[in-house]
Amino acid sequence: MATAAAAGTTISDLPDVILSNIIAAVSDVRSRNSAALACRKWCLLERATRAAVSLRGNLRDLFMVPNCFPSVSALDLSLLSPWGHPLSSASDPALIAHVLRHAFPSLSSLTFYARNLSTIQLVASQWRSAEHVKLVRWHQRPQVAAAGDELKMLFSECHRLKSLDLSSFYCWTDDVPPALEAYPSLASNLTRFDILNPSFSEGFKSDEIKAITKSCPNLREFKAACRFDPRYIGFVGDEALVSVSVNCPKLGVLHLADTSVLLNARGDGFTAEDASINVATLIEAFSGLPLLEELVLDICNNVRDSGAAFEVLNSRCPKLRSLKLGFFHGISMPIESKLDGVALCQGLKSLSIRNVGDLDDMGLIGIGRGCCKLAEFKIHGCSKITMKGMRTLASLLRKTLVDVGVSCCRNLPARQCLKALEPIQDRIERLHIDCIWDSAQELEDDLDGVGFDLNCLDQDNDFDDDGMSKARKRCKYSYDLNMELDVNSNGYGHSVRTWDKLEYLSLWIAVGQLLTPLAQAGLDHCPNLEEIRIKVEGDCREMSRPREREFGLSMLVNYPKLWKMHLDCGDTIGYAHTAPSGQMDLSLWERFYLIGIGHLSLMELDYWPPQDRDVNQRSLSLPAAGLLQECFGLRKLFIHGTAHEHFMMFLLRITELRDVQLREDYYPAPENDMSTEMRADSCSRFEAALNRRQISD
Amino acid sequence: MGIAEEAHNVRVIGSGQQTIVLAHGFGTDQSVWKHLVPHLVDDYRVILYDNMGAGTTNPDYFDFQRYTTLDGYACDVLAILDELQVQSCIYVGHSVSAMIGLIASISRPDLFSKILTISASPRYVNEPDYYGGFEHTELVELFEAMKSNYKAWCDGFAPLCVGGDMESVAVQEFSRTLFNMRPDIALSVAQTIFYSDVRPLLRHITVPCHIIQSIKDLAVPVVVSEYLHQNLGGDSIVEVMSTDGHLPQLSSPEVVVPVLLRHIRYNIAA
Repeated sequence: MATAAAAGTTISDLPDVILSNIIAAVSDVRSRNSAALACRKWCLLERATRAAVSLRGNLRDLFMVPNCFPSVSALDLSLLSPWGHPLSSASDPALIAHVLRHAFPSLSSLTFYARNLSTIQLVASQWRSAEHVKLVRWHQRPQVAAAGDELKMLFSECHRLKSLDLSSFYCWTDDVPPALEAYPSLASNLTRFDILNPSFSEGFKSDEIKAITKSCPNLREFKAACRFDPRYIGFVGDEALVSVSVNCPKLGVLHLADTSVLLNARGDGFTAEDASINVATLIEAFSGLPLLEELVLDICNNVRDSGAAFEVLNSRCPKLRSLKLGFFHGISMPIESKLDGVALCQGLKSLSIRNVGDLDDMGLIGIGRGCCKLAEFKIHGCSKITMKGMRTLASLLRKTLVDVGVSCCRNLPARQCLKALEPIQDRIERLHIDCIWDSAQELEDDLDGVGFDLNCLDQDNDFDDDGMSKARKRCKYSYDLNMELDVNSNGYGHSVRTWDKLEYLSLWIAVGQLLTPLAQAGLDHCPNLEEIRIKVEGDCREMSRPREREFGLSMLVNYPKLWKMHLDCGDTIGYAHTAPSGQMDLSLWERFYLIGIGHLSLMELDYWPPQDRDVNQRSLSLPAAGLLQECFGLRKLFIHGTAHEHFMMFLLRITELRDVQLREDYYPAPENDMSTEMRADSCSRFEAALNRRQISD
Repeated sequence: MGIAEEAHNVRVIGSGQQTIVLAHGFGTDQSVWKHLVPHLVDDYRVILYDNMGAGTTNPDYFDFQRYTTLDGYACDVLAILDELQVQSCIYVGHSVSAMIGLIASISRPDLFSKILTISASPRYVNEPDYYGGFEHTELVELFEAMKSNYKAWCDGFAPLCVGGDMESVAVQEFSRTLFNMRPDIALSVAQTIFYSDVRPLLRHITVPCHIIQSIKDLAVPVVVSEYLHQNLGGDSIVEVMSTDGHLPQLSSPEVVVPVLLRHIRYNIAA
């Protein structure tokens, strides 16, 4: 033993100073918790160096607020239980504020649930030196004396505010300009301002955008939900766009999105009305923003022939790495092999395009050739692209592309999409596809002429960064084509496909469709898949009961490392209690979706129950509670909806469960009075019961 | 807060001369009145509560002995009124809670100035000379499902039967909310409801009754309202609404709310 100890140096031989720096650099919470369990010294060091804490726990257990984190500079109070409860209505708000302030004396970043004005005052006044504040509110905005009062209260307390995030704060657009006007010096010090919020029914108008940007000339990051539709009075158009660039030249991150987009509408093609934005304006705006790194222009109306603007974008904004566009047509219309539009933005690492009605395979390939550093590519609602174009893009970007999303593209149902991604199947880490299952008929079409003969395209290639000779490029492409004629294929031209690096999978599926065809479609073997997100959408009110008994979650057992799931049935609409005679209610559908979830070895689950829109209810039904309780290894469960005490108690049967919360984080969160929301007492009883149990690890 | 207040999640809102008590039916909770309440708070003091056994109450408080008959629930109502020191109220009861209110009024007629019943029935099971809407055979399937859920729950499995699985459309409609409770409580409540027969007590009820129901409610055939009207001891009036279903205050509020308001405001003509 003595010789073994003397022979090697271990980590505990490092002096404290160095050890504490090492531990300070660890950001993942679970790793930090494990480090703290190693030995007493490590525990002290970990506690002393933790910089960010998200506080969970019930307000009634205030005495348990941890005092051992002196270095915390970022505190998140928005998840305290009962979730969404106004702090100022608790039994002793002053005491709560005092205890929290004492535990976390110096904060630079603060996030809290700002249910009402008095809560804002209570919390903001404790940490007046906060530089970054994020307000959270999913409940409806309460009545205030005048528009902007809540923000004014915040500004009056936190003078040193530099960054304000209202992206999850339910308020009105009218609330913002008056507050900024009342505190001009604070406004001019703001470097980050996020008002990209789907709760606004209409979005900011042109005048408001102009006023806001004028008050905040030092903005480096600006995200706003706007009203672009020219049918509305005060719509955001050319003038406003230019004013943004004129007023805030230091912008590095600019996101302007139409509110309709934020509600995740699906669709493709052109809209009836064009936006009132012309190319010259775009060019002017881009010219005024030389520091731009991230740009999002997610509009709801057509901007035609916009290619020219993006050609300019590359030269005016050399730092641009991330671009997201919605309804910009003509962004890649290469003539023969001359690249144009977006394809000229060579520096892009991330590109997301939505509803480009005239983008076809050639345009797509142009992007693949031009944006040769792309690591992330998302495409939505482009009806002209096909498997061939997508596959060529994947081949071209093989070296860099690791994150791909394809949705709502008519010619790319699941199987086609997966086939198109074959060239990168061993490299791709994150993937989104729509679960649109095609018939076996389409398989026949797959087998002939996959991919293009790119050789003929390359003749006029004056765009040759890498210095590769044209001859070599020609060979490279034909090699890729050969790979497709797979020697191992079975009768259907389909062998077992391994997606080695895939860690995150996101799926969209229409209500009533099954999940089981997923493996057959091409995702058979994903040895490293850890996290999955499934979104189910549709109206099941008219539908008769599902033909199959189960949706097919059990098939996910094929993915051995899967431990984290988001199951979002929140946009599945149905009847909770009031189904007309003979029609099905949501309990049946919940059962359909959740059967089999107990077979997966999930550790973390976020679940959005389906909703009854007429009564704003998203609530757990009996079979759902029963099926969730079968997830024996579950450690964390977050239900984005409401649930009865009777059903919540089922969850206590999951022995490993340690963190559960009902979070009604959708707009509008139901008010306590008129919902089946868990009453505060029920919540406390449940959490007390949960916390009383012994946890083995 | 008093014991009954807390256990039943009692909420008192609004202000006015008169007090209205809103009592929800089984498998739901006080949120079924969400469309009606805004129309009442300006003129009346409104008391809302959750029945014992409702999903929103603590299941540990459910005393299986006490609630084998509807009397246990009637005592709860009287306890709440007592704690809140209510002298007199207008009681609006849905489904089985309507019967509960009527039973409570037998021992304390002074507390109820009138009772509104929505989708109420004194007995659900048919007899040779009485049409309640349900045959014994139809109910067998329901009890099988409830027992299966109960067994699953006891064994730690997921209770998977839901109202929609029932063969009989009538049973489907009435029972869909019954599956909204913990399986042992649901079974007990289902037994209590279907074995209850309030018909013998009807003639002892002296409080004026406004009997309101949907024209098409598979659980409450229109003849039942007529039966109530004929057999109640005090004055009564029947109104059949052009609505569909057992929960009209949720499924068709635009029709139901005006009807309820009218019956709340006006009394039966002498």
